[in-house]
Amino acid sequence: MEIVDPRPLLALGISLACALLVFATGRHYGRRVLWSMGAALLKFGVVISLLPGAMAGEVYLFRLVEFPPGVGIGFRVDLMGLFFALVSSTLWIFTTIYAIGYMRGEADRAQVRFFGFFALCVAATVGIAFAENLLTLFIFYELLTVCTYPLVIHKETPAALKAGRKYLIYTLGGGGLVLLGLVLVQHAAGTLSFGQTGLLAAGAHDGPLGGGPLGGGQLGLIFAVLVLGFGVKAAVMPLHGWLPSAMVAPTPVSALLHAVAVVKAGAFGILRVIYDIFGLELLAQLNFTQALAWLAVVSIIGGSLLAWRQVNLKRRLAYSTVSQVSYILLAASLLNPTATVVAIMHLANQGFAKITMFFVAGAIEQGSGRTEINQLDGIGRQMPWSLAAFTVAALSFIGVPLLAGFLTKWLVILGALEGEAWWFAAVMVISGLLNAVYWLPVVYRAYFRPVTGVVADPGWLLRGPIIACAAFVVLLGTTAHFHLLPFSVASEAARVIWAEVAN
Amino acid sequence: MAAALTVSWSALAAWPHWLIVLILLPLGGAVLTPALYALQRRLVPWWALLVAGLTALTVLPLLWRLAHEGPFSYLPGGWARPYGVELRFDEFAALLAAAVALLAPPVLLFSRRYAARAVPAGRLPFYYTLLLLNLGGLLGLAITADLFNLFVFLEVVSLSAYALVAVGGRPVAELAAFKYLLMGAISSLLILLAVGILFALTGSLNMADVAQRLPALATPAALTLAAAALLVGFMLKAALFPLHNWLPEAHASAPGAVSAVLSGLVVKAGIIGLVRTYQLFAGVELLDTANLGAILVWLGAASVVMGSFFAVFQHDLKLMLAYSTITNIGYIVMGWALASPQAMLGASLHLFNHALIKTTLFLAAGALIYRTGLRTLEELRGIGRTMPLNCAALALGALAIVGVPPTAGFVGKWFIALGALQAGRPFFALVVVFGALLAAVYYVRIINAFYFREPEQKAVVTAREVPWSMLAPVLLLALLCLGIGLLARLPVEFLEPAVARLLDGRS
Repeated sequence: MEIVDPRPLLALGISLACALLVFATGRHYGRRVLWSMGAALLKFGVVISLLPGAMAGEVYLFRLVEFPPGVGIGFRVDLMGLFFALVSSTLWIFTTIYAIGYMRGEADRAQVRFFGFFALCVAATVGIAFAENLLTLFIFYELLTVCTYPLVIHKETPAALKAGRKYLIYTLGGGGLVLLGLVLVQHAAGTLSFGQTGLLAAGAHDGPLGGGPLGGGQLGLIFAVLVLGFGVKAAVMPLHGWLPSAMVAPTPVSALLHAVAVVKAGAFGILRVIYDIFGLELLAQLNFTQALAWLAVVSIIGGSLLAWRQVNLKRRLAYSTVSQVSYILLAASLLNPTATVVAIMHLANQGFAKITMFFVAGAIEQGSGRTEINQLDGIGRQMPWSLAAFTVAALSFIGVPLLAGFLTKWLVILGALEGEAWWFAAVMVISGLLNAVYWLPVVYRAYFRPVTGVVADPGWLLRGPIIACAAFVVLLGTTAHFHLLPFSVASEAARVIWAEVAN
Repeated sequence: MAAALTVSWSALAAWPHWLIVLILLPLGGAVLTPALYALQRRLVPWWALLVAGLTALTVLPLLWRLAHEGPFSYLPGGWARPYGVELRFDEFAALLAAAVALLAPPVLLFSRRYAARAVPAGRLPFYYTLLLLNLGGLLGLAITADLFNLFVFLEVVSLSAYALVAVGGRPVAELAAFKYLLMGAISSLLILLAVGILFALTGSLNMADVAQRLPALATPAALTLAAAALLVGFMLKAALFPLHNWLPEAHASAPGAVSAVLSGLVVKAGIIGLVRTYQLFAGVELLDTANLGAILVWLGAASVVMGSFFAVFQHDLKLMLAYSTITNIGYIVMGWALASPQAMLGASLHLFNHALIKTTLFLAAGALIYRTGLRTLEELRGIGRTMPLNCAALALGALAIVGVPPTAGFVGKWFIALGALQAGRPFFALVVVFGALLAAVYYVRIINAFYFREPEQKAVVTAREVPWSMLAPVLLLALLCLGIGLLARLPVEFLEPAVARLLDGRS
């Protein structure tokens, strides 16, 4: 049931207003903190207020403006988008608290820019999550690129500017591909709106522009262009080069890139391509997802192998993201209900675990200036809370039961077996082992090597979010059967997607 | 008085003489300017602004009538077609006229403070006279329906443009103006030659009449010559690659407000010329217009790529903007020559939108130079901190010209790309996307330098915002870059029937 409701726009507007207020009055510490925290909490409230209705089968729509006729900016809240928005707005709260603590020492001018653009990025993420059509999604996807750029080059050092340039080249290139895909879809289907169980499936037979039935070649081109375009931000190998370079940015920005917004936006874009633009039925006839699955496998294994080789903690984290985000793509390309649940669910699982680890890495760097893994001897005894949280997240990635990551692995394996693709199940097992190989040594050093040097207390502004996010990792792993908690939302979203196919 | 106020819109629009008023106002205003300067020199800028404002208001009833009645003609003195002169207001004329109406008042308002510094005091009356002449010429060119007046108005536009480039008195500018003059003169000669041939062949100068008579002729050589001369002549005026090399220097060295008019509006005279050429020869079977189109598509695509390619390597802000004009002219010509409904629609939209965006950019760049005297990106580093509003306008304009949705620059490119697919030529859709990426490269460089680099020059550190009479037009235009993109539905619905008529050969 579709209902016109301005709340999606409101959620976006809160973040935008926050950005404007920060730019206008943010030189004052108290106001900056007030606007950022206020907006984060308020937005979370608005987004979560959409949940009960959405779970009851309602779809909220709000069309803003149509500029070329038939195409325009509009918002539509379905469960998949709502799930993404919830993950992002929950993480925004924690990241804001952490950033307030982390950025304390910086100049006011730098902080204003940081908090302002951070709010803009989060606004863009909500826009992506609630986009009613591919054009709206593209607009906010590009807005996200533009607004993360000042954050990546925050330090304004030559290295930061170089990383920023690399980031822009990759993401604008990806944006160009998405734009090309946009034009092709509009030409082929005559519309860009989501929520019709496959735009191209409907338009494949007779496009209103007289395009005629689409051949497999054209469809293949559209799929390749869109998946590669979104794949840049999802850091699919070999398009992942920007992600490790962007590690020069401050830790809250890494959190934004890896967990709150950027790579998720890419993965979410691919989910939209699969479920809304092509649709499950059309894709089941074509063989494209097989290629995507192998691309994901390359990223999963390759990302892990590269992560293993890193001696810098943040770089190891970055390569591990390359590997982790591709779980989503692998799951999505399996095209069965179980795998769909995990494709959506892993948006949260990866986000909370990865943000925990980044927060810890940032706290260590802030407190002791240590960035390399071999400098971490005994740090578990100096920062017990943080390293406990780090360990929880690492175990989650390895796939220890009762943690979020276990559910992911378990369901991907089930999905792979359901699709009689046992080799993908094997990939998940190997990936779990690789995660153990490169995370357990860090944990071992932290707890079982003698203490070296001193570490300053990170303070509760950093420690609080770290513990909260680790708690979420446990929560996600243990509450699979509770109504209105993330897992139930993801499975309901998957049920809706597959129910439309059944009709 | 009260009765006059209650006159309804339709009655106002029904007054038949608006079309001639539209030309007479700016041309008359221009002629009176030097006289006013002799009497009361401080009033001259306000006078020019008043004339521009009234001209802009004149366009409103014309647009109203066009929207309700479709294209209409005006016959001065009542002489019947094809013997008398005819003025005709169709959708394409409306595009250029609307652009002039929208942009002239902000440019003249901006000029009041700007020209007082950029132009030597003794030349100020000429500056305003030339600017008004130029705008009047553009309006005349847009609405004229006969070939000879097309040539005359084109000359009015061109001659005033040459002089405007040089009016600031910088040696670089004078040299650029001379180069512009040489290329412009060749173009004018070619067009005059073509007009002569067509008159000799058909005995008529009225364009609709000529277009009707041409298909009956059996002189392929003469027809080809005329078409080619018109084509090359207008291509030169429009600065289509490879005939573009006069443009960057001329546009970059002119005073800021003049650059805005030249890049935003004057090159569009060449485009309108190309449109009229297309309308003339659309029915001629001896001449394969599809072939002509094929050449223009490739030249347009080359312009898109080469303009951006040159722009990437520039250091001078205004030179970058000038090269970007070549790119955008490329989009418009490519869209036209693809000759599918959506591509033509996109090209027409982009003609207007580029005028708006480029004017915004040049005025904002002019304001930076006004305050700091600096022109290159390296020198202007960090200017975003001291002139935040002006730089925000420039950044918004940059986003618009790259074509980021939902700004004005997006819609035109969107339809050109869709039109390329519609015409079955996906390669050119790729060119549109690739061109946008290339443009992003150098506009990002500009934004980078302004916002994310430490200031190095003292003039940058001590700069402050320009006076309100300069800042307000810049900000207003920047907001329009966004607003017109959001409201693109209106012009699309307005232009669709015109494009359909043009493609059917009923212009």
